[in-house]
Amino acid sequence: MPTIVDIAVSNEGFSTLVAAVQAAGLVEALQSPGPFTVFAPNDDAFAKLPPGTVQTLVQNPPQLGRILKFHVVSGKYTKDELIRLGSVESLEGAPIPIDGTEGFEVKNATVLAADIEADNGIVHVLDNVILMG
Amino acid sequence: MVQAVNRPAIPESQHPYADIIHRLEAGGSMLPDTPENLMQIIGIYKAYAVPMDFYWRDLLYIAEKVFLNPVPAFKYFISKEYLDRPNSYAGDSADLRIWRGEADAHPELREFMARGETGKLPKLAHHLWHDRVNMEFAEACMRAMLWHQGMGGRFYDYLESDEYVANADRAIKAYFKGNPAMLGLYKLFPTMFLEKVRELSYYANLGLFWEVMAPVFFEMSDLYDEGKMTTVPEAMDFLVNGIFAVAGRPIYHHLYIGDECIEIIPKSAGFTWLYEAALPYVEAVFYRTAPFRGTKSYNAQAGQVPEQQKDFHYGILYADVFPVGTAGIPPTLLMQDMLHFLPDYLREYYDEHCRGDDDILIQLGITFQRSMYNVTSAVIQALRGALLYPLDDPNPRHRQANRQFFESQMDRFLRPEARLRDIQRRDYR
Repeated sequence: MPTIVDIAVSNEGFSTLVAAVQAAGLVEALQSPGPFTVFAPNDDAFAKLPPGTVQTLVQNPPQLGRILKFHVVSGKYTKDELIRLGSVESLEGAPIPIDGTEGFEVKNATVLAADIEADNGIVHVLDNVILMG
Repeated sequence: MVQAVNRPAIPESQHPYADIIHRLEAGGSMLPDTPENLMQIIGIYKAYAVPMDFYWRDLLYIAEKVFLNPVPAFKYFISKEYLDRPNSYAGDSADLRIWRGEADAHPELREFMARGETGKLPKLAHHLWHDRVNMEFAEACMRAMLWHQGMGGRFYDYLESDEYVANADRAIKAYFKGNPAMLGLYKLFPTMFLEKVRELSYYANLGLFWEVMAPVFFEMSDLYDEGKMTTVPEAMDFLVNGIFAVAGRPIYHHLYIGDECIEIIPKSAGFTWLYEAALPYVEAVFYRTAPFRGTKSYNAQAGQVPEQQKDFHYGILYADVFPVGTAGIPPTLLMQDMLHFLPDYLREYYDEHCRGDDDILIQLGITFQRSMYNVTSAVIQALRGALLYPLDDPNPRHRQANRQFFESQMDRFLRPEARLRDIQRRDYR
Protein backbone atom coordinates (compact mmCIF):
# COMPACT_ATOMS: atom_id res chain seq x y z
CA MET A 1 0.00 0.00 0.00
CA PRO A 2 1.29 3.54 -0.72
CA THR A 3 2.44 5.83 2.10
CA ILE A 4 0.72 9.12 2.94
CA VAL A 5 3.35 10.97 0.90
CA ASP A 6 2.88 8.63 -2.08
CA ILE A 7 -0.85 9.31 -2.07
CA ALA A 8 -0.30 13.08 -2.07
CA VAL A 9 2.30 12.89 -4.84
CA SER A 10 0.36 10.53 -7.10
CA ASN A 11 -2.98 12.35 -6.87
CA GLU A 12 -3.78 15.54 -8.72
CA GLY A 13 -4.61 18.62 -6.70
CA PHE A 14 -2.02 18.31 -3.94
CA SER A 15 1.01 19.93 -5.58
CA THR A 16 1.09 22.86 -3.10
CA LEU A 17 0.85 20.51 -0.14
CA VAL A 18 3.61 18.29 -1.52
CA ALA A 19 5.84 21.33 -2.14
CA ALA A 20 5.12 22.60 1.37
CA VAL A 21 5.91 19.25 2.98
CA GLN A 22 9.17 19.14 1.04
CA ALA A 23 10.06 22.74 1.96
CA ALA A 24 9.40 22.01 5.62
CA GLY A 25 11.53 18.87 5.49
CA LEU A 26 8.72 16.64 6.65
CA VAL A 27 8.79 14.07 3.84
CA GLU A 28 10.82 11.56 5.80
CA ALA A 29 8.64 11.92 8.89
CA LEU A 30 5.47 11.33 6.87
CA GLN A 31 7.02 8.25 5.25
CA SER A 32 7.87 6.72 8.61
CA PRO A 33 5.66 3.90 9.96
CA GLY A 34 3.56 6.33 12.04
CA PRO A 35 0.68 5.75 11.93
CA PHE A 36 -0.66 9.24 11.26
CA THR A 37 -3.95 10.85 10.47
CA VAL A 38 -3.37 13.62 7.94
CA PHE A 39 -5.82 16.37 7.12
CA ALA A 40 -4.65 17.27 3.63
CA PRO A 41 -5.71 20.66 2.20
CA ASN A 42 -5.94 20.51 -1.59
CA ASP A 43 -4.50 23.10 -3.98
CA ASP A 44 -7.74 25.10 -3.99
CA ALA A 45 -7.51 25.36 -0.21
CA PHE A 46 -4.02 26.86 -0.39
CA ALA A 47 -5.12 29.17 -3.21
CA LYS A 48 -7.73 30.71 -0.88
CA LEU A 49 -4.99 32.12 1.36
CA PRO A 50 -4.26 35.81 0.72
CA PRO A 51 -1.23 36.63 -1.47
CA GLY A 52 2.15 36.27 0.18
CA THR A 53 1.01 33.86 2.91
CA VAL A 54 2.46 30.73 1.34
CA GLN A 55 5.56 32.60 0.13
CA THR A 56 6.45 33.72 3.67
CA LEU A 57 5.88 30.23 5.02
CA VAL A 58 7.95 28.53 2.33
CA GLN A 59 10.79 30.97 3.09
CA ASN A 60 10.66 29.85 6.72
CA PRO A 61 10.62 26.05 7.01
CA PRO A 62 10.27 25.78 10.84
CA GLN A 63 7.22 28.05 10.79
CA LEU A 64 5.77 26.21 7.79
CA GLY A 65 6.43 22.93 9.56
CA ARG A 66 4.47 24.12 12.56
CA ILE A 67 1.40 24.94 10.44
CA LEU A 68 1.68 21.60 8.64
CA LYS A 69 2.00 19.71 11.93
CA PHE A 70 -1.33 21.21 12.91
CA HIS A 71 -2.75 19.07 10.09
CA VAL A 72 -1.30 15.83 11.43
CA VAL A 73 -2.44 13.66 14.33
CA SER A 74 -0.55 10.76 15.81
CA GLY A 75 -2.56 7.55 15.32
CA LYS A 76 -4.93 6.35 12.65
CA TYR A 77 -8.43 7.77 12.99
CA THR A 78 -11.29 7.15 10.58
CA LYS A 79 -14.09 9.61 9.98
CA ASP A 80 -16.41 7.82 12.42
CA GLU A 81 -13.78 7.67 15.14
CA LEU A 82 -12.94 11.36 14.74
CA ILE A 83 -16.58 12.42 14.93
CA ARG A 84 -17.02 10.31 18.04
CA LEU A 85 -13.94 11.90 19.68
CA GLY A 86 -15.04 15.48 18.85
CA SER A 87 -11.49 16.78 19.21
CA VAL A 88 -7.98 15.42 18.65
CA GLU A 89 -4.57 16.80 19.52
CA SER A 90 -2.39 17.74 16.58
CA LEU A 91 1.36 17.14 16.41
CA GLU A 92 1.68 20.93 16.71
CA GLY A 93 0.15 20.63 20.16
CA ALA A 94 -3.07 22.58 19.59
CA PRO A 95 -6.40 20.72 19.54
CA ILE A 96 -8.35 20.19 16.31
CA PRO A 97 -12.12 20.30 16.80
CA ILE A 98 -14.18 17.86 14.73
CA ASP A 99 -17.86 18.26 13.92
CA GLY A 100 -20.22 15.70 12.44
CA THR A 101 -23.48 17.66 12.69
CA GLU A 102 -23.69 18.08 8.94
CA GLY A 103 -21.28 15.93 7.02
CA PHE A 104 -17.72 15.87 8.32
CA GLU A 105 -16.03 19.13 9.34
CA VAL A 106 -12.54 19.61 10.70
CA LYS A 107 -12.33 22.98 12.44
CA ASN A 108 -13.53 25.42 9.77
CA ALA A 109 -12.81 23.08 6.87
CA THR A 110 -15.12 20.60 5.23
CA VAL A 111 -13.79 17.16 4.44
CA LEU A 112 -14.08 16.58 0.69
CA ALA A 113 -12.87 12.98 0.76
CA ALA A 114 -12.55 10.90 3.91
CA ASP A 115 -10.83 7.69 4.96
CA ILE A 116 -8.20 7.38 2.23
CA GLU A 117 -6.15 4.48 3.55
CA ALA A 118 -2.36 4.57 3.44
CA ASP A 119 0.31 2.16 4.54
CA ASN A 120 1.26 4.40 7.46
CA GLY A 121 -2.05 6.04 8.29
CA ILE A 122 -5.09 7.66 6.82
CA VAL A 123 -5.81 10.84 4.84
CA HIS A 124 -8.84 13.14 4.91
CA VAL A 125 -8.92 15.84 2.22
CA LEU A 126 -9.82 19.39 3.32
CA ASP A 127 -11.18 22.37 1.41
CA ASN A 128 -9.38 24.83 3.73
CA VAL A 129 -6.01 25.20 5.35
CA ILE A 130 -6.75 25.04 9.08
CA LEU A 131 -4.96 27.27 11.59
CA MET A 132 -4.40 27.06 15.32
CA GLY A 133 -6.40 29.19 17.71
CA MET B 1 -27.14 38.03 -7.51
CA VAL B 2 -24.70 39.60 -5.06
CA GLN B 3 -27.63 40.83 -2.98
CA ALA B 4 -29.05 37.33 -2.83
CA VAL B 5 -25.76 36.00 -1.46
CA ASN B 6 -25.56 38.79 1.10
CA ARG B 7 -29.12 38.43 2.33
CA PRO B 8 -28.88 37.49 6.01
CA ALA B 9 -29.28 33.75 6.43
CA ILE B 10 -29.80 34.21 10.17
CA PRO B 11 -31.99 36.53 12.28
CA GLU B 12 -30.69 39.97 13.20
CA SER B 13 -28.39 40.22 16.17
CA GLN B 14 -29.91 41.44 19.44
CA HIS B 15 -26.54 42.55 20.78
CA PRO B 16 -26.22 46.17 22.04
CA TYR B 17 -23.70 46.68 19.22
CA ALA B 18 -25.91 44.89 16.65
CA ASP B 19 -25.43 47.71 14.12
CA ILE B 20 -21.66 47.30 14.25
CA ILE B 21 -21.90 43.50 14.18
CA HIS B 22 -24.02 43.70 11.03
CA ARG B 23 -21.44 46.03 9.52
CA LEU B 24 -18.65 43.57 10.31
CA GLU B 25 -20.75 40.79 8.77
CA ALA B 26 -21.06 42.85 5.62
CA GLY B 27 -17.27 43.12 5.39
CA GLY B 28 -16.97 46.49 7.12
CA SER B 29 -14.92 47.87 9.97
CA MET B 30 -15.90 48.96 13.47
CA LEU B 31 -15.05 52.44 12.22
CA PRO B 32 -17.76 53.91 9.98
CA ASP B 33 -16.85 54.22 6.32
CA THR B 34 -16.63 57.96 5.68
CA PRO B 35 -14.07 59.93 3.67
CA GLU B 36 -13.28 61.93 6.81
CA ASN B 37 -12.51 58.80 8.82
CA LEU B 38 -10.40 57.41 6.00
CA MET B 39 -8.42 60.65 5.71
CA GLN B 40 -7.82 60.69 9.46
CA ILE B 41 -6.71 57.10 9.85
CA ILE B 42 -4.44 57.04 6.82
CA GLY B 43 -2.83 60.32 7.86
CA ILE B 44 -2.19 59.00 11.34
CA TYR B 45 -0.87 55.65 10.06
CA LYS B 46 1.73 57.57 8.12
CA ALA B 47 2.59 59.75 11.14
CA TYR B 48 2.85 56.57 13.24
CA ALA B 49 4.99 54.68 10.73
CA VAL B 50 7.89 57.16 10.86
CA PRO B 51 8.60 56.93 14.62
CA MET B 52 7.76 53.21 14.36
CA ASP B 53 10.63 52.95 11.89
CA PHE B 54 12.84 54.13 14.75
CA TYR B 55 11.13 51.96 17.39
CA TRP B 56 11.65 48.65 15.61
CA ARG B 57 15.24 49.41 14.71
CA ASP B 58 16.13 50.51 18.24
CA LEU B 59 14.23 47.64 19.87
CA LEU B 60 16.31 45.18 17.84
CA TYR B 61 19.48 47.21 18.50
CA ILE B 62 18.83 46.95 22.26
CA ALA B 63 17.91 43.24 22.10
CA GLU B 64 20.78 42.24 19.85
CA LYS B 65 23.62 44.63 20.71
CA VAL B 66 23.10 46.65 23.91
CA PHE B 67 21.80 43.51 25.62
CA LEU B 68 22.74 43.44 29.33
CA ASN B 69 24.85 46.59 29.39
CA PRO B 70 24.63 47.49 33.11
CA VAL B 71 24.55 51.21 32.33
CA PRO B 72 22.60 51.42 29.07
CA ALA B 73 22.72 55.22 28.94
CA PHE B 74 23.15 55.19 25.18
CA LYS B 75 20.61 52.54 24.25
CA TYR B 76 18.57 55.12 22.33
CA PHE B 77 21.66 56.15 20.34
CA ILE B 78 21.00 53.65 17.63
CA SER B 79 24.00 52.61 15.54
CA LYS B 80 24.37 53.46 11.86
CA GLU B 81 24.21 49.75 11.11
CA TYR B 82 20.71 49.54 12.56
CA LEU B 83 19.54 52.73 10.86
CA ASP B 84 20.70 51.27 7.57
CA ARG B 85 19.44 47.77 8.34
CA PRO B 86 17.19 46.78 5.46
CA ASN B 87 13.57 46.31 6.44
CA SER B 88 12.54 42.80 5.40
CA TYR B 89 9.32 44.14 3.85
CA ALA B 90 10.53 47.18 1.91
CA GLY B 91 13.15 47.90 -0.73
CA ASP B 92 14.70 45.71 -3.39
CA SER B 93 16.11 43.16 -0.95
CA ALA B 94 12.75 42.47 0.73
CA ASP B 95 11.65 38.92 1.55
CA LEU B 96 8.20 40.11 0.56
CA ARG B 97 7.92 43.68 -0.64
CA ILE B 98 4.99 45.38 1.07
CA TRP B 99 6.15 49.00 0.71
CA ARG B 100 7.58 50.28 -2.56
CA GLY B 101 9.90 52.63 -0.66
CA GLU B 102 13.46 52.06 0.47
CA ALA B 103 14.49 49.56 3.11
CA ASP B 104 16.69 51.76 5.31
CA ALA B 105 15.49 54.36 7.84
CA HIS B 106 12.82 56.70 6.48
CA PRO B 107 14.16 60.07 5.23
CA GLU B 108 11.76 62.02 7.48
CA LEU B 109 13.05 60.08 10.46
CA ARG B 110 16.67 60.83 9.60
CA GLU B 111 15.85 64.50 9.16
CA PHE B 112 14.08 64.66 12.51
CA MET B 113 16.91 62.83 14.26
CA ALA B 114 19.33 65.44 12.96
CA ARG B 115 17.29 68.56 13.70
CA GLY B 116 14.49 67.71 16.13
CA GLU B 117 12.23 70.63 17.00
CA THR B 118 15.05 72.85 18.17
CA GLY B 119 17.50 72.64 15.27
CA LYS B 120 20.85 71.08 14.56
CA LEU B 121 22.49 70.23 17.87
CA PRO B 122 24.77 67.46 19.12
CA LYS B 123 22.98 64.14 19.58
CA LEU B 124 23.47 64.27 23.35
CA ALA B 125 21.80 67.70 23.57
CA HIS B 126 18.77 66.43 21.64
CA HIS B 127 18.63 63.44 23.94
CA LEU B 128 18.84 65.35 27.22
CA TRP B 129 16.42 68.02 25.99
CA HIS B 130 14.07 65.20 25.06
CA ASP B 131 13.90 66.53 21.52
CA ARG B 132 13.94 63.09 19.96
CA VAL B 133 11.88 60.00 19.23
CA ASN B 134 10.33 58.81 22.50
CA MET B 135 11.60 55.24 22.75
CA GLU B 136 10.05 55.17 26.22
CA PHE B 137 6.72 54.61 24.48
CA ALA B 138 8.05 51.55 22.65
CA GLU B 139 9.47 50.22 25.91
CA ALA B 140 6.12 50.74 27.64
CA CYS B 141 4.48 48.58 24.95
CA MET B 142 7.19 45.96 25.36
CA ARG B 143 6.67 45.92 29.13
CA ALA B 144 2.91 45.51 28.65
CA MET B 145 3.62 42.37 26.61
CA LEU B 146 6.15 41.09 29.15
CA TRP B 147 3.88 41.74 32.10
CA HIS B 148 0.62 40.39 30.76
CA GLN B 149 2.02 37.26 29.07
CA GLY B 150 -0.20 34.19 28.70
CA MET B 151 -2.16 35.75 25.81
CA GLY B 152 -1.92 32.87 23.41
CA GLY B 153 1.07 31.70 21.44
CA ARG B 154 3.96 29.71 22.88
CA PHE B 155 6.48 32.51 23.46
CA TYR B 156 6.00 32.86 27.20
CA ASP B 157 6.14 29.11 27.84
CA TYR B 158 9.37 28.91 25.89
CA LEU B 159 10.95 31.61 28.07
CA GLU B 160 10.50 29.25 31.02
CA SER B 161 11.90 26.20 29.21
CA ASP B 162 15.23 24.52 29.96
CA GLU B 163 16.32 25.15 26.38
CA TYR B 164 15.77 28.90 26.73
CA VAL B 165 17.51 29.04 30.12
CA ALA B 166 20.53 27.21 28.67
CA ASN B 167 20.66 29.56 25.66
CA ALA B 168 20.32 32.64 27.87
CA ASP B 169 23.05 31.33 30.18
CA ARG B 170 25.36 30.89 27.21
CA ALA B 171 24.55 34.41 26.01
CA ILE B 172 25.11 35.99 29.45
CA LYS B 173 28.45 34.24 29.89
CA ALA B 174 29.59 35.19 26.39
CA TYR B 175 28.46 38.81 26.80
CA PHE B 176 30.31 39.25 30.10
CA LYS B 177 33.37 37.27 29.05
CA GLY B 178 36.40 38.84 30.71
CA ASN B 179 34.24 40.80 33.15
CA PRO B 180 34.64 39.01 36.52
CA ALA B 181 32.54 41.58 38.37
CA MET B 182 29.43 41.00 36.24
CA LEU B 183 30.01 37.25 36.05
CA GLY B 184 30.27 37.26 39.86
CA LEU B 185 26.99 39.12 40.13
CA TYR B 186 25.45 36.64 37.71
CA LYS B 187 26.55 33.81 39.98
CA LEU B 188 24.96 35.55 42.95
CA PHE B 189 21.70 36.58 41.25
CA PRO B 190 21.20 34.28 38.26
CA THR B 191 17.42 34.63 38.04
CA MET B 192 17.64 38.42 37.96
CA PHE B 193 19.90 38.24 34.91
CA LEU B 194 17.66 35.64 33.34
CA GLU B 195 14.62 37.82 33.83
CA LYS B 196 16.40 40.71 32.13
CA VAL B 197 17.16 38.45 29.16
CA ARG B 198 13.48 37.50 29.01
CA GLU B 199 12.65 41.19 28.87
CA LEU B 200 15.18 41.60 26.05
CA SER B 201 13.48 38.75 24.20
CA TYR B 202 10.31 40.84 24.29
CA TYR B 203 12.32 43.76 22.87
CA ALA B 204 13.18 41.49 19.94
CA ASN B 205 9.61 40.25 19.66
CA LEU B 206 8.13 43.75 19.46
CA GLY B 207 10.90 44.97 17.15
CA LEU B 208 10.18 42.16 14.69
CA PHE B 209 6.46 42.88 14.97
CA TRP B 210 6.81 46.57 14.17
CA GLU B 211 9.31 45.93 11.39
CA VAL B 212 6.29 44.66 9.48
CA MET B 213 3.81 47.33 10.48
CA ALA B 214 5.91 50.34 9.44
CA PRO B 215 6.05 49.40 5.72
CA VAL B 216 2.39 48.35 5.82
CA PHE B 217 1.40 51.82 7.02
CA PHE B 218 3.75 53.58 4.55
CA GLU B 219 2.24 51.65 1.67
CA MET B 220 -1.30 52.47 2.80
CA SER B 221 -0.39 56.16 2.91
CA ASP B 222 1.09 56.00 -0.60
CA LEU B 223 -1.96 54.19 -1.97
CA TYR B 224 -4.22 56.82 -0.41
CA ASP B 225 -2.15 59.66 -1.87
CA GLU B 226 -2.42 58.01 -5.29
CA GLY B 227 -6.19 57.69 -4.94
CA LYS B 228 -6.00 53.90 -4.85
CA MET B 229 -7.34 53.46 -1.33
CA THR B 230 -10.73 55.05 -1.16
CA THR B 231 -12.76 53.47 1.65
CA VAL B 232 -12.31 52.42 5.29
CA PRO B 233 -13.08 48.74 4.47
CA GLU B 234 -10.35 48.85 1.79
CA ALA B 235 -7.93 50.10 4.41
CA MET B 236 -9.02 47.31 6.73
CA ASP B 237 -8.72 44.67 4.00
CA PHE B 238 -5.20 45.83 3.21
CA LEU B 239 -4.33 45.20 6.85
CA VAL B 240 -6.07 41.81 6.81
CA ASN B 241 -4.06 40.75 3.75
CA GLY B 242 -0.88 42.07 5.38
CA ILE B 243 -1.59 40.04 8.52
CA PHE B 244 -1.96 36.86 6.47
CA ALA B 245 1.00 37.60 4.23
CA VAL B 246 3.49 37.83 7.10
CA ALA B 247 1.71 35.53 9.56
CA GLY B 248 4.50 32.97 9.24
CA ARG B 249 7.39 35.37 9.74
CA PRO B 250 9.78 33.94 12.37
CA ILE B 251 9.98 35.60 15.79
CA TYR B 252 13.43 35.04 17.30
CA HIS B 253 16.04 36.63 19.54
CA HIS B 254 19.66 36.75 18.43
CA LEU B 255 22.54 38.35 20.31
CA TYR B 256 25.55 39.70 18.41
CA ILE B 257 28.91 39.95 20.15
CA GLY B 258 31.29 41.17 17.49
CA ASP B 259 30.75 38.80 14.60
CA GLU B 260 29.47 36.01 16.78
CA CYS B 261 25.74 35.33 16.77
CA ILE B 262 24.20 33.59 19.77
CA GLU B 263 20.70 32.30 19.20
CA ILE B 264 18.77 32.85 22.42
CA ILE B 265 15.51 32.07 20.64
CA PRO B 266 16.41 30.37 17.34
CA LYS B 267 14.22 30.71 14.28
CA SER B 268 13.92 26.94 14.40
CA ALA B 269 11.79 27.24 17.54
CA GLY B 270 9.01 27.87 15.03
CA PHE B 271 7.56 31.03 16.56
CA THR B 272 5.46 33.08 14.19
CA TRP B 273 4.63 36.75 13.77
CA LEU B 274 0.89 36.15 14.05
CA TYR B 275 0.75 33.86 17.08
CA GLU B 276 3.73 34.98 19.14
CA ALA B 277 3.83 38.70 18.35
CA ALA B 278 0.78 40.24 16.66
CA LEU B 279 -2.01 38.66 18.69
CA PRO B 280 -0.26 39.10 22.07
CA TYR B 281 0.61 42.67 21.07
CA VAL B 282 -2.98 43.59 20.25
CA GLU B 283 -4.21 42.01 23.47
CA ALA B 284 -1.55 43.61 25.67
CA VAL B 285 -1.37 47.04 24.09
CA PHE B 286 -4.74 47.77 22.48
CA TYR B 287 -6.89 46.19 25.19
CA ARG B 288 -5.04 45.72 28.46
CA THR B 289 -1.83 47.66 29.24
CA ALA B 290 -1.86 49.04 32.78
CA PRO B 291 -3.02 52.25 34.47
CA PHE B 292 -0.51 54.95 33.61
CA ARG B 293 1.14 56.40 36.66
CA GLY B 294 0.49 60.07 37.09
CA THR B 295 -2.83 60.20 35.29
CA LYS B 296 -5.35 59.09 37.87
CA SER B 297 -5.31 57.42 41.29
CA TYR B 298 -6.82 53.97 41.53
CA ASN B 299 -7.81 52.21 44.74
CA ALA B 300 -7.16 48.53 44.19
CA GLN B 301 -8.76 47.63 47.55
CA ALA B 302 -11.98 49.27 46.40
CA GLY B 303 -11.94 47.12 43.28
CA GLN B 304 -11.04 49.98 40.95
CA VAL B 305 -8.35 47.85 39.35
CA PRO B 306 -9.51 44.46 38.02
CA GLU B 307 -8.41 41.39 39.95
CA GLN B 308 -7.58 39.49 36.78
CA GLN B 309 -5.05 40.76 34.27
CA LYS B 310 -7.31 39.63 31.43
CA ASP B 311 -9.86 42.22 32.57
CA PHE B 312 -7.44 45.15 32.36
CA HIS B 313 -8.83 47.83 30.09
CA TYR B 314 -6.31 50.64 29.86
CA GLY B 315 -5.39 50.29 26.18
CA ILE B 316 -6.08 52.75 23.39
CA LEU B 317 -9.50 51.20 22.69
CA TYR B 318 -10.66 52.35 26.13
CA ALA B 319 -8.55 55.47 26.59
CA ASP B 320 -10.02 58.75 27.64
CA VAL B 321 -7.48 60.61 25.57
CA PHE B 322 -7.80 63.93 27.36
CA PRO B 323 -6.61 62.99 30.88
CA VAL B 324 -3.68 61.02 29.51
CA GLY B 325 -2.54 64.02 27.51
CA THR B 326 0.15 64.72 30.06
CA ALA B 327 3.91 64.89 29.60
CA GLY B 328 5.80 61.67 30.24
CA ILE B 329 2.78 59.38 29.98
CA PRO B 330 3.32 56.69 27.30
CA PRO B 331 0.35 57.55 25.05
CA THR B 332 1.32 61.21 25.13
CA LEU B 333 4.87 60.31 24.19
CA LEU B 334 3.51 58.59 21.10
CA MET B 335 1.24 61.52 20.26
CA GLN B 336 4.24 63.83 20.53
CA ASP B 337 6.17 61.51 18.21
CA MET B 338 3.37 61.42 15.65
CA LEU B 339 2.96 65.19 15.79
CA HIS B 340 6.31 65.61 14.03
CA PHE B 341 5.29 63.60 10.99
CA LEU B 342 1.67 64.56 10.32
CA PRO B 343 0.79 64.95 6.66
CA ASP B 344 -0.27 68.50 5.75
CA TYR B 345 -3.89 67.53 5.17
CA LEU B 346 -4.21 66.21 8.72
CA ARG B 347 -2.50 69.21 10.28
CA GLU B 348 -4.88 71.53 8.39
CA TYR B 349 -7.80 69.42 9.56
CA TYR B 350 -6.81 69.78 13.20
CA ASP B 351 -6.30 73.53 12.78
CA GLU B 352 -9.95 73.81 11.73
CA HIS B 353 -11.33 72.00 14.75
CA CYS B 354 -11.51 72.40 18.54
CA ARG B 355 -8.69 74.63 19.72
CA GLY B 356 -6.52 74.06 16.68
CA ASP B 357 -2.85 73.80 17.46
CA ASP B 358 -3.43 74.13 21.22
CA ASP B 359 -5.10 70.76 21.60
CA ILE B 360 -3.63 69.04 18.59
CA LEU B 361 -2.22 66.19 20.70
CA ILE B 362 -5.71 65.36 21.96
CA GLN B 363 -7.19 65.58 18.48
CA LEU B 364 -4.56 63.36 16.94
CA GLY B 365 -4.85 60.99 19.92
CA ILE B 366 -8.53 60.53 19.15
CA THR B 367 -7.72 60.05 15.47
CA PHE B 368 -5.23 57.42 16.59
CA GLN B 369 -7.98 55.77 18.61
CA ARG B 370 -10.18 55.66 15.50
CA SER B 371 -7.31 54.22 13.49
CA MET B 372 -6.64 51.51 16.07
CA TYR B 373 -10.30 50.50 16.07
CA ASN B 374 -9.76 49.93 12.37
CA VAL B 375 -6.61 47.87 12.99
CA THR B 376 -8.51 45.88 15.63
CA SER B 377 -11.30 45.35 13.08
CA ALA B 378 -8.68 43.94 10.71
CA VAL B 379 -7.44 41.58 13.43
CA ILE B 380 -11.02 40.47 14.18
CA GLN B 381 -11.75 39.91 10.47
CA ALA B 382 -8.44 38.09 10.02
CA LEU B 383 -9.21 35.79 12.93
CA ARG B 384 -12.69 35.21 11.57
CA GLY B 385 -11.17 34.35 8.19
CA ALA B 386 -8.52 32.08 9.69
CA LEU B 387 -10.62 30.27 12.25
CA LEU B 388 -14.18 30.53 11.02
CA TYR B 389 -16.03 31.04 7.77
CA PRO B 390 -16.29 33.40 4.78
CA LEU B 391 -18.73 36.28 5.23
CA ASP B 392 -20.82 35.03 2.30
CA ASP B 393 -20.88 31.41 3.47
CA PRO B 394 -24.30 30.05 2.48
CA ASN B 395 -24.49 27.68 5.47
CA PRO B 396 -26.59 29.31 8.27
CA ARG B 397 -24.74 27.31 10.92
CA HIS B 398 -21.47 28.80 9.74
CA ARG B 399 -22.98 32.26 9.64
CA GLN B 400 -24.17 31.75 13.20
CA ALA B 401 -20.65 30.78 14.27
CA ASN B 402 -19.32 33.98 12.70
CA ARG B 403 -22.09 35.91 14.48
CA GLN B 404 -21.16 34.42 17.85
CA PHE B 405 -17.53 35.29 17.26
CA PHE B 406 -18.31 38.90 16.37
CA GLU B 407 -20.66 39.20 19.35
CA SER B 408 -18.06 37.84 21.74
CA GLN B 409 -15.54 40.36 20.39
CA MET B 410 -18.04 43.19 20.83
CA ASP B 411 -18.73 42.04 24.41
CA ARG B 412 -15.30 43.41 25.26
CA PHE B 413 -16.56 46.88 24.40
CA LEU B 414 -19.64 46.74 26.61
CA ARG B 415 -17.79 48.19 29.58
CA PRO B 416 -18.39 51.93 29.95
CA GLU B 417 -14.77 52.93 29.28
CA ALA B 418 -14.88 51.55 25.71
CA ARG B 419 -14.81 54.20 22.99
CA LEU B 420 -16.55 52.14 20.32
CA ARG B 421 -19.75 54.19 20.60
CA ASP B 422 -17.78 57.46 20.52
CA ILE B 423 -15.90 56.69 17.33
CA GLN B 424 -19.21 56.23 15.54
CA ARG B 425 -19.74 59.98 15.94
CA ARG B 426 -18.12 62.49 13.65
CA ASP B 427 -17.89 65.18 16.36
CA TYR B 428 -15.88 63.02 18.77
CA ARG B 429 -12.52 64.68 18.56
